[in-house]
Amino acid sequence: MPARTLDITALTCPMTWVRTKLELERMAGGEALEVRCSPGEALEQVPRSAREAGHAVTVEGTTIRIVRA
Amino acid sequence: MSENSRRGFFRELASVVASARATAEPTAPPPPPPDFTDAEIERYSRQLVLPEWGAAAQLAVSEASVIVIGAGALGAPVALYLAGAGVGRIGIVDDDAVELSNLHRQLLHFTPDIGAPKAESAAAKLRYLNPDVVVEPYRMRVDGGNAAALIEGQDLVVDCSDSFATRYAINAACCAARIPLVEAGVLGMAGLVMSIKPGRTACYRCAFPVEPVDAPRCADAGVLGPAAGVIGSLQALEALKLLTGVAPTIADGFLQVDLATAEFLRVRASRRSDCSDCGALR
Repeated sequence: MPARTLDITALTCPMTWVRTKLELERMAGGEALEVRCSPGEALEQVPRSAREAGHAVTVEGTTIRIVRA
Repeated sequence: MSENSRRGFFRELASVVASARATAEPTAPPPPPPDFTDAEIERYSRQLVLPEWGAAAQLAVSEASVIVIGAGALGAPVALYLAGAGVGRIGIVDDDAVELSNLHRQLLHFTPDIGAPKAESAAAKLRYLNPDVVVEPYRMRVDGGNAAALIEGQDLVVDCSDSFATRYAINAACCAARIPLVEAGVLGMAGLVMSIKPGRTACYRCAFPVEPVDAPRCADAGVLGPAAGVIGSLQALEALKLLTGVAPTIADGFLQVDLATAEFLRVRASRRSDCSDCGALR
């Protein structure tokens, strides 16, 4: 099954994590979300927030892959 | 159909679909929560971003109906924060008119409002603050004879009244109807706050079995605006916790706040089997 995708390139903190969090809350455990974001703050903050919330996170370039806990 | 009732309709529909699916396919995941609009996500972003809060908590408050009794020094911060947080429906009850002497502590009323009914004055400001909230003003004084009808069907009652008689009447009505209640009082530079889940935690009468005689009222003893603001804000916080379950409440006792010394004291109270309001509840 292809991963869900979310584009937060146009957003700034904290809306980047708000949108990501709401999308994750719509998903089942084990489901993956690919978040496209801009370099900089979002690329640092969103993976950190996702890990703190207990999700598995990998980052490739400006794409953050989050597997929902 | 309002945005709230529309959301309620879709949620019910989702629940029906989910139960139908659950019958046919037991492993089906629960349906996702309904979408929030872009404006809602932005308006509530600073609470949605909290680890404790989320779509479920936001949905819980948006579907809640809360009665705030009193549109004065406590009722103002309570109603403002509840409207700001996105509580779906707020009833605000007061039979007084705005007076010049109210304005130092009653944040919902401004100088041009003098003479206007407080319930209407408050409702107007709350609608400005958050047009998505349904605000219903009630110009009436709550007593033992009308409290039950007023609170019927509510999810929560926040008592911001300024008399002991009203407080005991509201406690009795909330216990009888098993509606959660946040009690508070403020005088001078001190106050207290208490959350009550009737039948499960100590009620106001359990904590204070004897109604005080000739207790000083605000008009006699005075109150500093920010002291009322602190107590009202604590009350609003308790209300949001009760509606969402995101954090434990000040239950089975009360928080006594001395703002002259900045001391907060948690006082324990237990349910009383002989309580005339909640003793018979199981």
